Amino acid sequence: MLTSMLAASVPQTGTNAINDFLAGVKPDYVPGWAVPLTAIGIAVGLTVAIISVVAMFSVWLERKVAGHIQCRYGPMRAGWHGWLQPIADGVKLLLKEDLVPLGADRVLYVLAPALVLASVLAAMSVYPLAPGFFFADIDLGIFFVLAMTSTTTIGVVMAGWSSNSKWSLYGAMREAAQVVAYEIPLGISLLVPIMVAGSFNLLEVSRAQTGFFGLNWYIWPWINPFMLPAFVLFFIAILAETKRAPFDLPEAESELVAGFMTEYSGIRWSFFFMEEYAAMFLYSVVGAFFFFGGFESPLTWGAAKLAGDGSVLHQVAAGTTLVVKGFAGVFLMMWLRWTLPRVRIDQVMTLGYKYLTPLALVCVLGAGLWEVFLTPILPWRHG
Amino acid sequence: MKATAKYFRNCIDALKTTLVGMRITGKYLLQKPITVQYPDERLPIPNRYRGIHYLEQEKCIECLACARACPIDCIEMDAVRHGKELEWISFTLDYQKCMFCELCVYPCPKDCIHMGTEFAFVSYDRSEFVHDLLSYRGMARDAKVRMLEAEEKKKAKEEAKKAKEAAKAAQLAEQEGKAAAGGAQGGPGQG
Repeated sequence: MLTSMLAASVPQTGTNAINDFLAGVKPDYVPGWAVPLTAIGIAVGLTVAIISVVAMFSVWLERKVAGHIQCRYGPMRAGWHGWLQPIADGVKLLLKEDLVPLGADRVLYVLAPALVLASVLAAMSVYPLAPGFFFADIDLGIFFVLAMTSTTTIGVVMAGWSSNSKWSLYGAMREAAQVVAYEIPLGISLLVPIMVAGSFNLLEVSRAQTGFFGLNWYIWPWINPFMLPAFVLFFIAILAETKRAPFDLPEAESELVAGFMTEYSGIRWSFFFMEEYAAMFLYSVVGAFFFFGGFESPLTWGAAKLAGDGSVLHQVAAGTTLVVKGFAGVFLMMWLRWTLPRVRIDQVMTLGYKYLTPLALVCVLGAGLWEVFLTPILPWRHG
Repeated sequence: MKATAKYFRNCIDALKTTLVGMRITGKYLLQKPITVQYPDERLPIPNRYRGIHYLEQEKCIECLACARACPIDCIEMDAVRHGKELEWISFTLDYQKCMFCELCVYPCPKDCIHMGTEFAFVSYDRSEFVHDLLSYRGMARDAKVRMLEAEEKKKAKEEAKKAKEAAKAAQLAEQEGKAAAGGAQGGPGQG
């Protein structure tokens, strides 16, 4: 019974499937236009829930990692090893007074955190959660993700400008300069796996890496030796994109108070916080999709062999794999944050323009040549 | 050429030093934390730690030696004496003033005031910093018993004394009466 249930094939599920399901069960007195609206509402609700849970777990993980790296415990009192701490913090933030500083541009000030959070929510919408579950499966998936996560910058600059505070303005300027510098190597280094896979679609890229015990992950040098340096460049670039130490200059709490979010408090401030952690997770998942096999792992491979491709067991294994890989990336970013000191703004610019960008271009060139000349004669590339 | 070499050296150095740093922090990450969960577990406190005082009240004789030794006069005590026994009213120490110098401990002839290892005291009101070191007010039961015994003894002694005096007076009066009567006849006429 259980085996047959686990082996049952799941059709591709997404907003469309929710829509079809709702249309099927809709009573006559409900107007037709309510169905797609409800489907969209459910999808948005799920996205918000996932982002919130990811952000909360990341906050807890960050505090635990920070604590243990400094030989302390981190939060310990709310729940088992403090796992309820983010919820307690959230309640506290909700109850805090909502301040708008005198002289602030009220409209932009209120809009900025919403825009920042909305950009990661929009990016989240094209992520598949399992091979058969996603909200929107679009062919330009990674393109959309990069575009949406860059929109965050607009929100940050809005926040910095509208706060009417010198610290906020400095933070916003730094964010703008930093993102302009690091978007280039980020996009270019991602071109390497995109070239190898021949697709922008996250599901396609993941499917292309299926193979025996995860030996077809793009990170392996026998797939393409330029992949590893490209991943290093990608990782440094996403650190800067998500404003994480050692590139946390927009916040720079010891120089700029809190940078662009100096004047924010309560729930608006927590939006910036959630955005940071959600963006960390989303970029890590991009890394997992394009370098570390996406859904593919020994676990997924085994589940697919055991219960069949596209079965419930396979979907669950794939989803778990993706979440584990995503949080592995988040953990690595935290580890780096508590290892390295913050770099100076000119060093950030130097690293971005003089090191990452040229090296990323070299990687793309090398990987392209490899793909054109060597891939046709490598037997394991034609599995 | 030199600049090119430096460029690549920079790249390699950056990666290598980052990995070295990560190895160090990784080692700390896996190590057991050195902090303790304070209210639940505590680090051992040295025996000679100068924390909040405690008083062995039964031994105290209210000699005021500690109060007199205190350089900032933060010890105050009050008791009523019943012979040798004490009826305690108060023994207060003002921790807003106390500087934990331990000078009150040394002069005590009965060795009854000590400094303990408890150090945490927080309160919502300043008046709560005036600690009463007494563990009981009034008299201890055995002190009361001793006092009553002593009183009874005293009473008995006094009575005996009174009786003796009365006897003496009676004897005297008898002798005087005899002398007045001139007779040698008489007996023990006491009641």
